[in-house]
Amino acid sequence: MTQSANFPAPARDICGTMLVHRRLLNDSMTYRAQRARIENRALQYETGRRSAVRNEVLTIPVVVHVVHNPAHPEQNVGDAQVHSQIDVLNRDFRAANADVSQVPEVWRPLVADARIEFALATRDPLGNPTEGITRIETDRDGFDTSDTVKAAETGGADPWPSDQFLNLWVCQLQGGLLGYAQFPGGPPQTDGVVILHTAFGTTGCAASPFDGGRTATHEIGHWLDLLHIWGDDDGACSNDDRVGDTPNQASSNTGKPAFPHVTCDNGPNGDMFMNYMDYVDDEAMFMFTRGQSERMDACLEGARASFVVAHQVGTAKAPAAAPAAEAPSEAAAPAAPSVPPQAPAAAPAPAAPAAAPAAAATGGNGHAAHDSEVERLLREVLSEVQDALGIVTGDGR
Amino acid sequence: MSQGESTVGAAPPDVTGSWLHSFEEDTGTTEVYRPSAYRFRPARRVRGGLEFRPDGTFVERRPGPDDRLYEVQGRWAAQGAGRIGVTFPQGRAAPYEITVVSRTQDMLAITR
Repeated sequence: MTQSANFPAPARDICGTMLVHRRLLNDSMTYRAQRARIENRALQYETGRRSAVRNEVLTIPVVVHVVHNPAHPEQNVGDAQVHSQIDVLNRDFRAANADVSQVPEVWRPLVADARIEFALATRDPLGNPTEGITRIETDRDGFDTSDTVKAAETGGADPWPSDQFLNLWVCQLQGGLLGYAQFPGGPPQTDGVVILHTAFGTTGCAASPFDGGRTATHEIGHWLDLLHIWGDDDGACSNDDRVGDTPNQASSNTGKPAFPHVTCDNGPNGDMFMNYMDYVDDEAMFMFTRGQSERMDACLEGARASFVVAHQVGTAKAPAAAPAAEAPSEAAAPAAPSVPPQAPAAAPAPAAPAAAPAAAATGGNGHAAHDSEVERLLREVLSEVQDALGIVTGDGR
Repeated sequence: MSQGESTVGAAPPDVTGSWLHSFEEDTGTTEVYRPSAYRFRPARRVRGGLEFRPDGTFVERRPGPDDRLYEVQGRWAAQGAGRIGVTFPQGRAAPYEITVVSRTQDMLAITR
């Protein structure tokens, strides 16, 4: 219900609560529609109907906001501790971490180089030189997960534009919490990741068993649309993380589990608890899978496309040539013959339902099911709108 | 929102306040909670929370898929013999009953 500038404001005063209610409703509608679209794209990557356009490594500019209370000097983590965190990220997202060698034999073929690196920003939003670290004093004893650390007016630090920078807030979190994230598709003013100062980096005040910098790896995994590996279903086996090559598991693992740990009939190898998206200690997690890497690609070529240096979203050719660093994924592609794909019409569509792509004008997307998916998504969004309208009009006071 | 349950019966165990799950201290049958301001040991598993407000409002804080806590609001009412009934008039969750096992200045132990 936007108000046109051409019309005077209505004389009748609408109560503030109602306005807030409507705004939240609209926000959440937008969010749900966004999430549906993001999920839809992720599915296309997983089934092989789309594949990553990007082969090169993508570097994401990072700004670290150190929000500290002067009464607790250790909260003001030093530059070296910040750099140690960036170093961990650059190893973990490239499968260049030393402990990747501990991945059980059976899962070694699944280990993925996500081709993502992180660098502290060298230019601030105004184009001025920067170290990529801001330091903000606060009078708060600590922060919870309600995003107060992400705004100056609530004792935190305002973000830098979140479509250009990954915002990382470091602070005292309450409740023993190590960190929390925001999935893609959420409000830009709170987009980013929050990390407890003693679980940040590997030096300074970083404290065992969370001094391996893996909290940020895990939370940035969420920021790139990865879900918890157990599927957030409270111990049930009904839900998974929507990634094909991670075994379904019942609930989170903590500490340093012994391999194998079988749940949800996932024997003989059991839970992939050494995955960054479980809840084990820092030294017990050391891998992303190919399926997770594809999900991150879907996010980076969709909701977070602004970070892709030279993105060609929507112009993906039929997937074939596997990225240099990786062999074809077992989860998505069938045993693809290693033939260069020159004959578009004749090339077998990988893993996709055998829909004849013949005359489908799909805008160069190279997947025939595109139109019906768009239609389905539109229907979903329409029903969301209808539901919401029902709620608004049925809420009459 | 004005559901106005009456708290008739025995004096309610004083559970008012905001609590977070100290799961390291759980036993096989009992969940242990500490005040929200308690200095918890950092843990990767996110701690859920319960809040009992004096006006009968109940807030359950559940760990979410992005490691945040999500609030579900309901009502609480003492039902005598250390039992508390929790309802969600807006239908956001199923009602349940909590039994207070013990309550000290900085600890609440319950079964449910």
